Amino acid sequence: METDDVVVMASLLCKSYQMGDVKVEALKDVDFDVEKGKFVAISGASGSGKTTLLNIISGIDKPTSGAIFVYGEDLGAKDENFLASFRCNKIGFVFQSYNLVSTLTLAENVAFPMEWLRRPTEDTEKRVGYLLETVGLKHRAEHFPFQLSGGEQQRVAFARALANDPPLLLADEPTGNLDAKTSLKIIEILQKLKNDGKTVIVATHDDRILKVADQKLYLADGKLVSLDE
Amino acid sequence: MSETFFPINDLLRRKLQTGLVIFALALCVASTLFLLLLGDKIGFGILSMAQNRLTASFVSVFSNFIIFVGFLVFLVGVVIVSFMVFVMMAQRVRDIGLMKAAGCPNDLVFGYFMNELVIVSVVGCAFGVVLGIGADYASTSLLSIIGFHAAQEPINFWVALIVFVSFLVLSLIVGAKPVLDTTQIEPTKAISPSYYYGLTKESDFKGSAKAGISFKIAMRSLFRRRSATLRIIFCLTAVFILVTVAIAGGLIADETTRSWIEKGVGRNMIMIAHRDISNQYRLLLEKFYEARDTPSLNYTDEKYQITNAILERLSLIQDVKFEARLVLEAQVEEIEGWKIDPATASTIPVGDSRRGRSLIVGVEPEKTLSEWLLDGEFLNSSQGFEAVIGDSLARGMFSEPLNQSVKVFGADFDIVGACLDPINNGRVTYVPLEDLQNVTGISACNIVLAKVEASANRENLVSQIATSVGAVDSKFEVLELNEILDNQVSFLGYIWSAIMFLPLFSLSAAALCLIGYVILSINEQRQEFGVLRAVGAQPRTVVKIVATQSLLVLASSYGAGISLGIIATLLILMPEPLVTVYSILEIAGWLLIALAVTFIFSLYPAVRFARKPILEVLSQT
Repeated sequence: METDDVVVMASLLCKSYQMGDVKVEALKDVDFDVEKGKFVAISGASGSGKTTLLNIISGIDKPTSGAIFVYGEDLGAKDENFLASFRCNKIGFVFQSYNLVSTLTLAENVAFPMEWLRRPTEDTEKRVGYLLETVGLKHRAEHFPFQLSGGEQQRVAFARALANDPPLLLADEPTGNLDAKTSLKIIEILQKLKNDGKTVIVATHDDRILKVADQKLYLADGKLVSLDE
Repeated sequence: MSETFFPINDLLRRKLQTGLVIFALALCVASTLFLLLLGDKIGFGILSMAQNRLTASFVSVFSNFIIFVGFLVFLVGVVIVSFMVFVMMAQRVRDIGLMKAAGCPNDLVFGYFMNELVIVSVVGCAFGVVLGIGADYASTSLLSIIGFHAAQEPINFWVALIVFVSFLVLSLIVGAKPVLDTTQIEPTKAISPSYYYGLTKESDFKGSAKAGISFKIAMRSLFRRRSATLRIIFCLTAVFILVTVAIAGGLIADETTRSWIEKGVGRNMIMIAHRDISNQYRLLLEKFYEARDTPSLNYTDEKYQITNAILERLSLIQDVKFEARLVLEAQVEEIEGWKIDPATASTIPVGDSRRGRSLIVGVEPEKTLSEWLLDGEFLNSSQGFEAVIGDSLARGMFSEPLNQSVKVFGADFDIVGACLDPINNGRVTYVPLEDLQNVTGISACNIVLAKVEASANRENLVSQIATSVGAVDSKFEVLELNEILDNQVSFLGYIWSAIMFLPLFSLSAAALCLIGYVILSINEQRQEFGVLRAVGAQPRTVVKIVATQSLLVLASSYGAGISLGIIATLLILMPEPLVTVYSILEIAGWLLIALAVTFIFSLYPAVRFARKPILEVLSQT
């Protein structure tokens, strides 16, 4: 199932977890489409299912029922090897807690997704330099993550997410742990990505991000309560 | 939460890790106990040599070997127990920090985790005792099945108790320190991933810019966990020394000792003698592998003498070499000798006047068909009144045999050599036949040894010899010595196999240690692996990183362990080792198998981990 302009198509998505004797329903019959080049903000209270939805869109998690199509691929039906390759090629993911690899330098953190696609070393080095320059951290390429502030780590996380130039970028609360000034820099990066024609889906509480979004999805207790375009 | 239920629940929560620690501990206890019980059972206690079987030189070689292997088994046990307890407690640092941060007093935290340690130690040691006794029972049964008389004696429970208590105390001592250290850490540090995972330090390993990301992650993580990495390398090095000593030493010693026996008894030899002498000779040879008494026999009885008629008939048979011997039994006496003191250049007396029973064998030195392993030289008939004594006699009754003489039938014989001969457990004295006949007044011989030329038809010739001898006197018969020689060699082979079996326990425990280390390693890199996979790494990338780490640890330990093990084997354990190309290939093969098996086992946690859903991995960081 694919139409050229629809990047993400969610159909009656449900996700539930068994926590001891209690069944927790993280997503209930979520239905929406995301078109190519759109900036989508997913909003909602803590525990409303934003992160779960991003995880399902990225193929990190699978729905309990319903279907999720990303670039025409039914991710719920794919195996782990396909999903890994799919994420590497098509999706950039920015985690709320940065999740940089602590044993690698910033340059290596940005480079490793490219290594899996076996890009020529020269191309990789050029691209790493370009991305670190874009996020303003080229001068710290050989530093390790623990030597950076939270905002700087988040910017590296963006650079890593863009390493393979994926058409779809997912960001989970990218400004959630940052101060106001650093958050603005992150928002600038998001806007630049949108202007570059990338499809961007962001889970956020941040009003400033919501303001620049083309499409807003509001989740409450796992249900999509509003589609605001 | 009581001090009883918390530890039990916590141990059950970490089933795999708890199982590993208990099993590793059990294997260490079992290997030590099995070693002690086996040493006791095959008749040469580690500390007290029993003289019922083998010969003194063999007992000495086995004892040295077992003592060395035993020392290594115990050392490896200590190192493994220490490592496993360290790993067990290292994974509880975060929990301890959380408990302290929540207000749990230090002594209560210490109590909880010490109780865990006690439970694991008691269960592991008890299981080890059962396993060790089971291995001993199985090995004794195997010994009986393959034809050696080894009775299932009652278990020496004192030995079991001592091993149990030793390892219990040991594990509690080595385990208490990390528990105490961990409980002393400030809660903020204990719960901080930066401290817990060591993220605040730059890794010492930079690596080539061209090295792959997986390799860099693998190497830097190894360097970051330096303490645990060094411990596991030390632990595996000790294990590989043990494995090398047991396998290389065992195989080399097996071949060497086999060659000693084959030289002494002679391959493809037959003996012609009166039925009674023949039976007696068989028993004297069989004493090497079965503790038994030989009945008294009057060797000088005329009916046992080989008649000229028999000798004449034998001399007509072509392609066979014959050697006549006179075998007697008598009391021999040590005669004091002397040597020059290098410091004062004066002569000093050597030895005493000890007495003992010995088999006395008169041989024609120029014609002898045997080729013993000798300390000194063999008889020379022109020198007159010389003797070569068996190794048990040399070690048991003489101080410096080559500087002494032995009194046989009232005559003094200068000892010119000590030989390794399995007959009568090495309590034998060889003298020139002519001299023996002169001092005893017996002019005949009572056995003839024969060796068929390799190119001849052995079966036909043996049959021809039997017919010729039987035609003169039906009470004389032909005894094939190959069968007895094979039994002697098999017995040696069995003992060496049993000794080589010992490191199997330690190797298994080492594999568990490595698995424990890999679990610790994965636990510490969990967040990184989760991120790698979330960003697009295939599950096999995680296995590749862990495999690289495991291989590096194994290769370092393997190189160090095998080098030290070979040095120990050649320098300490075996004088004049017989090393053949075949034995080198066999040793290399076994050691590579040990490496490969350990490596494959170590990958199990990585493969298991790689199958976990990414969210589960990330949620546990």
